[in-house]
Amino acid sequence: MEQRLANAWRMTVNEKKFIETALLSDLRIDGRRPFDYRNLTIRFGREDGSSEVQLGQTHVMGFVTSQLVQPYRDRPNEGTLAIYTELSPMADPSFEAGRPAESAVELGRIIDRGLRESRAVDTESLCVVAGKWVWSLRIDLHILDNGGNLVDAANIAALASLLTFRRPECTLGGEDGQEVIIHAPEAREALPLTVHHLPIAITFAFIGDENTVVIDPSHFEEAVMGGRMTATLNANGDICAVQKAGGEGVIQSVIMQCLRIASVKAVDITRKIEDAVKSNNTERALRKIKRHPPSAVVDVIKAGQKGADNLLEENMEKPKQEIEDTIVSQSDDMDIETRSSNQNESKPRIDKNTSFIGGPSSWDPYSKGVNVDELKASLASRVAALPSEKMDTAPPVEPRVTVTDPPLTSTNAAPSSEENTGAGQQTNKEKTLKDAVKPKHKRKKKT
Amino acid sequence: MESKPSNSLSSLIDQQVFPGDVVLDLSKMANQTIKLGSGLRQEGDAISVMKAGKLRFAKPNKYWVESSHKRYVPCAGDTVLGIVVDSKADNFLVDIKSPTIAFLPVLAFEGGTRRNIPKFEVGTLLYARVVKANTGMNPELACMDASGKAAEFGPLKDGYMFESSTGLSRMLLNSPTCPLLETLGKKLAFEIAVGLNGRVWVNATSPSIIILVANSIMKSESLSPVQQKIMVDNLLQRVQ
Repeated sequence: MEQRLANAWRMTVNEKKFIETALLSDLRIDGRRPFDYRNLTIRFGREDGSSEVQLGQTHVMGFVTSQLVQPYRDRPNEGTLAIYTELSPMADPSFEAGRPAESAVELGRIIDRGLRESRAVDTESLCVVAGKWVWSLRIDLHILDNGGNLVDAANIAALASLLTFRRPECTLGGEDGQEVIIHAPEAREALPLTVHHLPIAITFAFIGDENTVVIDPSHFEEAVMGGRMTATLNANGDICAVQKAGGEGVIQSVIMQCLRIASVKAVDITRKIEDAVKSNNTERALRKIKRHPPSAVVDVIKAGQKGADNLLEENMEKPKQEIEDTIVSQSDDMDIETRSSNQNESKPRIDKNTSFIGGPSSWDPYSKGVNVDELKASLASRVAALPSEKMDTAPPVEPRVTVTDPPLTSTNAAPSSEENTGAGQQTNKEKTLKDAVKPKHKRKKKT
Repeated sequence: MESKPSNSLSSLIDQQVFPGDVVLDLSKMANQTIKLGSGLRQEGDAISVMKAGKLRFAKPNKYWVESSHKRYVPCAGDTVLGIVVDSKADNFLVDIKSPTIAFLPVLAFEGGTRRNIPKFEVGTLLYARVVKANTGMNPELACMDASGKAAEFGPLKDGYMFESSTGLSRMLLNSPTCPLLETLGKKLAFEIAVGLNGRVWVNATSPSIIILVANSIMKSESLSPVQQKIMVDNLLQRVQ
């Protein structure tokens, strides 16, 4: 008991009185006006679906993870969304480890209500096999520092991490066509969630005898306030949830005023979140391109076309993974081309590659130790063998060729048709290529 | 390893020291009466360091280690700001940000007798002095100086109290006065009480002055003296 007395954070009479008197002249202890929001910073982690939000002193980390589960019986074609809050004693000594406190439960509930019951996240798009497999999303919110107004900060963290989260693409396959194949993000670009709108929580505190309204209360103001109200709105001004649990009663006109202010702030915060997410997305794209310079593809494929069977096959085994990554990072146009090749019985791959290459590069790492002339000679004598060998050298596109399901996102599907014309003029190696594809095709499906 | 200082006192003073360092050797000192402040411990003839920080020396014979923390480790003689948590028959329980709660005997006031025990409600802010700080015991406070006078100690009315690190509060108490308070004091009239336990109380006639002073102090945590001066000048210009 003694220990707890010393650890608890407490407030003096002086502070309480000062906060109230200063508010009478529209001043707050951190220098804000009653309707000023604190400084908001949103950062993202390296992994998709992680975010860190700092609202003044308050510091919250959000993390989204997904898992394939069986859906609930009454909603066989909807994914699930669950929110877990973690309030560690490090953030505030008044939080107890273990059993969640009342405040932790309320925090989770408010965010849950705002996000789930306003159907911000499209749960139906999380369905893989109706009644059997759906994605279950889990949002973990870790409170790292409590500087007041945890609800708003945690809500922003949840939204930011949902917006950057990507779930792995999965398709049906296997012998009976019922097996779910989860594709690694390296093989297929992971899919972002469908988020219809952003419900932003805005908290107001009512302080003092006159129930002065302040937005975004700090830790100190929370200790003094007589009541609190959280309104969850989106940028269009739709009210998704209002939470007013106990405390001082508030008259209707004040609530209406709060909602008007909240709708303005919601637009502000929505813009901030979207800007942060956008810059994170471009950064993410840049990061991928940097990691795998596109010249690697050119060289490797060229080497493949020149090479002799045995030697090259050995060499190509190693860089296979590398090429795969690179090609994935080549952004969508590569994607489209492979899709079109799918429609054309996968014949145009090699030509596509050659056209993609442009000018030949003089640097060729894989035929270094080999007499090039000799290779060419042997190459000429084995024209028949060449295409199948090219298959081996260009495996990166191969997993895409196996796509049998319609593409899940409309963005990929749309441009594929216009790409068809380009694919049409591909040359005549189809027979051998097709033969080469088939065994691979089967092998992939089994895995 | 730290070589045994051959009484190279001057070299270690104002230097960073670390737990375990032996900073003084009593057997080699002419004047063996010294006063140890926080962070120092006597083991036989050796004075060793218990926490990381800067070793300080004040004439004639005071030594202590200075560092910046959120927590406060009580040390006899420090002036602190405490919050009354509870009152018992013999003691007020006062929170001074130390690991254990401090006791303030009800008689430790100027002219304190059983008849005139002051009444403090929970949450009263007190300016007090640490009298005893022994390990394993709750620290003991007093609201009078060594000679039994009230000497500014006692409850603080109104104003605003905020928390800082112990390093910041030490900086505010430094003499010569730190540039921050000096610049502020030239333009504004305010009252300030600084506790070594990292609590600062500010009072002025208008709330806006209090807020300005409090925020500029909180912001100056990591600023150099010159930067402090620039910041305060900017602030004052904007306000006026």
